[in-house]
Amino acid sequence: MSSLGYGKPLRAVNFICVAPVARSVSLVGDFNAWNPAAHPMKQMPDKAWLLTVELKHGHHRYAFLVDNKLTLDPRAQGITRNDKGERVSLVPVS
Amino acid sequence: MKKIDSLTPLAHPPAKKSAALGKIHPVIIYPFHQPADYTDLSGLYQLVARLDAKKSRYARPITVLDRKTHFSNEKDKAFLDFRKNTLTRHSEVLDAWCVDTCQMWYSGLALAFERGAPGDVYWLIPGDFNYGTPTGQEVLGRLHDLPEIILELEQDLCIGEIATDYSNSKQLIDTYGTFALLYNWFPIEAQEIRRFTERPRSEFFAIRHSFLQEVLQHRWYPYEQTVVILLQAVFSQRHISRFFVGNISDLPEGGESLNSALQQVERTERVLKSLWRERHEPTPGWLDRYRVLEQQSEQVRRTAVTVLQNILEV
Repeated sequence: MSSLGYGKPLRAVNFICVAPVARSVSLVGDFNAWNPAAHPMKQMPDKAWLLTVELKHGHHRYAFLVDNKLTLDPRAQGITRNDKGERVSLVPVS
Repeated sequence: MKKIDSLTPLAHPPAKKSAALGKIHPVIIYPFHQPADYTDLSGLYQLVARLDAKKSRYARPITVLDRKTHFSNEKDKAFLDFRKNTLTRHSEVLDAWCVDTCQMWYSGLALAFERGAPGDVYWLIPGDFNYGTPTGQEVLGRLHDLPEIILELEQDLCIGEIATDYSNSKQLIDTYGTFALLYNWFPIEAQEIRRFTERPRSEFFAIRHSFLQEVLQHRWYPYEQTVVILLQAVFSQRHISRFFVGNISDLPEGGESLNSALQQVERTERVLKSLWRERHEPTPGWLDRYRVLEQQSEQVRRTAVTVLQNILEV
């Protein structure tokens, strides 16, 4: 589990990306400065990609990088744009 | 047809994050038809009471109450007690004569705006939903996300989306009426709106001070104002977000009937036509283009009416 501490309470959040034929998937977002190398996801036996990340309370913008292509999370609770103007997903952490 | 895939660079770049976040101004729209049972309103006003208690975060909530609603219930003890012991206790009641719900929004949001400051956020909460049910309670627990997203992520508009069945009248109106008409009158902007939401007439939203200021300076329509606000957001390249607030339904007085559905489609068309003319009248040859769009619009509306009639009358 990856930990992103900002001195505030953290909560574990599961990210799941269904991309069975992808060669690599990583999680990018405000919490890792959209760095593709920061949070590689792991492929599970059912072929879905999983990563658990600890995030601070609040709302976070994120997306999956599926074979280097920015991809929205279809299960996300919200949609917005990042600072580059790309559509990305939203996750609330309470 | 031209496509907007990305709106960079944004016309309104996000403000630098400040240490002190702005205040949130809740504006509650009291149901036009007073429900006989107060369960749903009690559920909603439990939330309002909590907001009113957090004075460092929230401005005093404003409840907009149509005078017609008041006068048609002025001899009803339960209503008067609820008004006195709940509405007035936890919010400031704004009594206003309004031609339609959107005018109630206008009155409430504009009053809150006059009291607000740059950096503040205005949060519209419709009163006529089934907040007393378990799913309604869940929605009440999520609504606060809308203004928080504006503050935390420096957005201009956050639309709350509710889940409905594909055959729900709201869904049918938006699919065959609202979006079809939007694609006719404002095709580029309609594509951008649909990238964010399937509910362009949502009554759940939060809006940033600077964007509300801009919207208040334009003509305000008595109905389907969310569509106009969304279009304005796209015209001005504002930051839009959408957040799912859950499964919730209108109270029975809402628009399930065919008559009501047709009225909503007709109103949307009227608003879009007016808005299009406003934006294009200064352009030479606008009238010829308008006539073409109007003919197409009539076809779209007639198709929507046929679809709604076939589904809602069954």
